[in-house]
Amino acid sequence: MSAVGSSNPEYVVARVRARRGSLYGDEEYRKLTRMGPAEIARFMEESSYGAEINALGSRHGGVDLIEYALNRNLAEQFDDILDWSEGALYDLIARYLRKFDAWNVKTVIRGVYTDADQSAIEVDLIRAGEFDDRLIRRLLEADSIDAVVEVLEDTIYGDPLREAYAEYEETDTLVPLENAVDRAFYERLLSGLGGDEPTRQYEAFLRAEVDFRNAINALRLARSGADIDPAAYFIEGGELFTRGSLARLARNLDELVEYIADSQYGEELGPALRELEEADSLIAFEHATDAALLAYGDQLGTIHPVSVTPVISYILAKEREVENIRAIARGKEAGLSADEIESELVIT
Amino acid sequence: MLEATNELGNVALQAGGTLTDANAAAALAVGLAALGAGYAERGIGSAAVGAMAEDDDLFVNGLILTVLPETIVILALVVVFIV
Repeated sequence: MSAVGSSNPEYVVARVRARRGSLYGDEEYRKLTRMGPAEIARFMEESSYGAEINALGSRHGGVDLIEYALNRNLAEQFDDILDWSEGALYDLIARYLRKFDAWNVKTVIRGVYTDADQSAIEVDLIRAGEFDDRLIRRLLEADSIDAVVEVLEDTIYGDPLREAYAEYEETDTLVPLENAVDRAFYERLLSGLGGDEPTRQYEAFLRAEVDFRNAINALRLARSGADIDPAAYFIEGGELFTRGSLARLARNLDELVEYIADSQYGEELGPALRELEEADSLIAFEHATDAALLAYGDQLGTIHPVSVTPVISYILAKEREVENIRAIARGKEAGLSADEIESELVIT
Repeated sequence: MLEATNELGNVALQAGGTLTDANAAAALAVGLAALGAGYAERGIGSAAVGAMAEDDDLFVNGLILTVLPETIVILALVVVFIV
């Protein structure tokens, strides 16, 4: 687990490809949508989630058990990948997985803000990023937001959080802190990427993700009509929007939809955009962006088989699987029918 | 570039002439082939170990694929018997 030495894509790709084979396919999803929460947990116990279900089974039950087992398995798998990889490969993978660090920081801050129980915060963490157990323990033990900021001093979130903390003290809202964390993550995500061909493909994928995030944020703002400055939510690094164009487009939904339809993503997102115009449903658009990213991710590993791209492709597929199982379990809990749940899944 | 190569050739000629000893040339051929095989095995070997770590059944396949580049060295060894 280090960024020194030469990279070893052969080893990591071989292991990741083997694991990819054990991800759930259409057949398994069809079975899962017809099961209750207890049966889903049982089904997971017999597959690659066995260890986590057994470890957590005594403390949690029902949908919570599924959720925590999914989180823990995800964290374990991604930690493994970081453990195996060395050199430039480590750096490229860690860039993407730092989003779990950002998630953890935000979870802890929210937990402290709402005076949540330490163990309640702990189960919601996904330990897949670069933070080690000691740092996470110290984060959990922090009893004020000031203490959280202090623990994070030496990480990439240190300086931005320190700056945002002053604003937080003035307004007593978490938005500046959360924005600071997100921005620190996205800044590191795209800075100083190498120039070889697989890395460029990876970069294109990351840019697409930033574009979609901006698009979804802008659509939400445009639909809600809230008086919020869209530029404050703008994430640097995408190709589709600039800070100015986003601020202008977020005021007018029709113009924004048209702009996205005319962009390079128009072909993939076209049907979802039409649905957005007709049914006013943002969910379909979010699913379409997820599906477009997943389809792109599937393609990603095929052109350069021995590089970072198949690893990223696996990470995406795994994330999607966890989200799908969670959607099934939550849907079952809420009493949705199998067809309704199926429409919530993102499967390529 | 071309001039530099010429220059280098001249220097080599003055310093000791070309490689005229057939045995030495054959040894060089085998050595370079072995080097190439070793480089190829590096990648295949680490991939094979990775695959084996996930699934023990892949041991035989991994072993076979890892030693396949070794054939290059065996073919190069033919040169030794020809000269």
